[in-house]
Amino acid sequence: MESGKNVGSTSSGMSRREFSVGLGGACALLAVGGGIRVAPAQACVRPPGGQDENRLISSCIRCERCIGICPNGALAPAHLEDGVLGVRMPVANFDAGWCDWCADANGGVPLCVETCPTQALQLAEGATPENVIMGKAVIIEDWCLAYSKYNGCRFCYDACPYEAITLDEYERPVVDLDLCNGCGACQAACVSMEEGSIAEGATTRAIVVVPESSIEEKGGR
Amino acid sequence: MKSRHLRVVIPLAVLAFAGVGYVVHTGFGSLSAIGWGSVSLLCPVGALATMLASKTVIPRAVISIVIALVAIVVFGRAFCAWVCPAPLVSKLRTAFKKQDAPGLSKPTGIVAGADEGSEEEKADSEHGCGSESCAACSKCRPSDSRYFILGGTLLSAAVFGFPVFCLICPIGLSFALVFVLINLFGAGDVTWSVVAIPVVLVVEMVFFRKWCSHICPISALMSLVSKFNKTFRPKIDANRCIESRGGECGRCAQVCEVAIDPRHPERGADWSECIKCCACVDACPGKAITMPALPLRSKMEDNEGVLQGEREQ
Repeated sequence: MESGKNVGSTSSGMSRREFSVGLGGACALLAVGGGIRVAPAQACVRPPGGQDENRLISSCIRCERCIGICPNGALAPAHLEDGVLGVRMPVANFDAGWCDWCADANGGVPLCVETCPTQALQLAEGATPENVIMGKAVIIEDWCLAYSKYNGCRFCYDACPYEAITLDEYERPVVDLDLCNGCGACQAACVSMEEGSIAEGATTRAIVVVPESSIEEKGGR
Repeated sequence: MKSRHLRVVIPLAVLAFAGVGYVVHTGFGSLSAIGWGSVSLLCPVGALATMLASKTVIPRAVISIVIALVAIVVFGRAFCAWVCPAPLVSKLRTAFKKQDAPGLSKPTGIVAGADEGSEEEKADSEHGCGSESCAACSKCRPSDSRYFILGGTLLSAAVFGFPVFCLICPIGLSFALVFVLINLFGAGDVTWSVVAIPVVLVVEMVFFRKWCSHICPISALMSLVSKFNKTFRPKIDANRCIESRGGECGRCAQVCEVAIDPRHPERGADWSECIKCCACVDACPGKAITMPALPLRSKMEDNEGVLQGEREQ
């Protein structure tokens, strides 16, 4: 390590202080890295091409270009609460908009994937909106107007582009998990919070897309 | 506009540009990766770290590194003075001396390990400490400790499989703060990040104040590559330099943020540390310093003449 022209300074070569600051800082980085690696993290709904969580974690440099470029505003930076390891990585924000794979904006090629400079978001050969599962929609019956008020609300049913929502005999929506790919159209359309579910204690909309893994844990419905 | 002001305006403009891109969904990104559509210029340290972490060669990362290396050879560490938003945060120290206090009392877990040496730092005087020549005071001098941090950045990425430094990088965090505030006020997105990001930034740039010269791995990379930089180097016109004409001055060395002594280069930090901030040019009472884009021969001879005269005295 070259120390430049040190004539007249307190030391020649690297001083003990420089050495200790450098080594201490490098060790601190390693400690921080290890600490973050083992810290608990929640599964999140990722944009298309971000389903391989390991690749996303290893390649994402948190530049947030995918989030900024999403024409539907359907992405947001992950919160600190979702886990330090994934903080500022892209997560779905389907309250604001849903993922149509940029059908209108970019001819069906998701802009987030196209723009990702590190290939952290990367679609496999032959990936289509139907076979890339971002998550699964789940209805929270306590907050759903069609379930709690039997008012026949069916915005999510109308919004679903994959016909993954059907209506039961009481005109209540039911999600067919085999058809749902987690695009978020239903969540973006849900009006439960505007229509008073907050009074019932709702903290989210009555239909939300959750990571596929969290459905499997519950053993289906 | 004075370069001192430009050095605040340009980073703010870059932050604003990124913020506007975020709001209108053009996605210019941030300095971590800035670009248009599928064209991106990645931060060279981030690009190296992410390739080590994912153990793959990423074409856009390789191209970005090459472009960055060329830019550093041409412009030296000019990024540090003119574009990087992190020094803006450290300027808060002088702007709001009292208001910093709340931030200092609650460092978060993320950076708990990053503030060693802070007690020593507190004892340091402000820059422009009024010592005869800052170049002689080793505290302002860019430290080789940065090379260890650069090594730690790359090693930690390779070992733990994710770009660890990117999470605490003050440049990335400056942009993250802009984005998180846009989300907070634009979409009511409430998260602890709104608190954590400024706290980490303040700890790094205000509390642990010698970040740029002692810690920053990006500045380490730039200093390494800048050894090949020969352009935009301050040149002293011996006919106008007060010291050359027998007076006492040393103003250029006093104002230099990276402890270079342009008048007596052998006393201060290496030229490769020059951030091209033009502080010496502006401060010179004799208007003797210029920063020519190319190391012109005639100017070189002038400088040689200055040094020659010095040795004879």
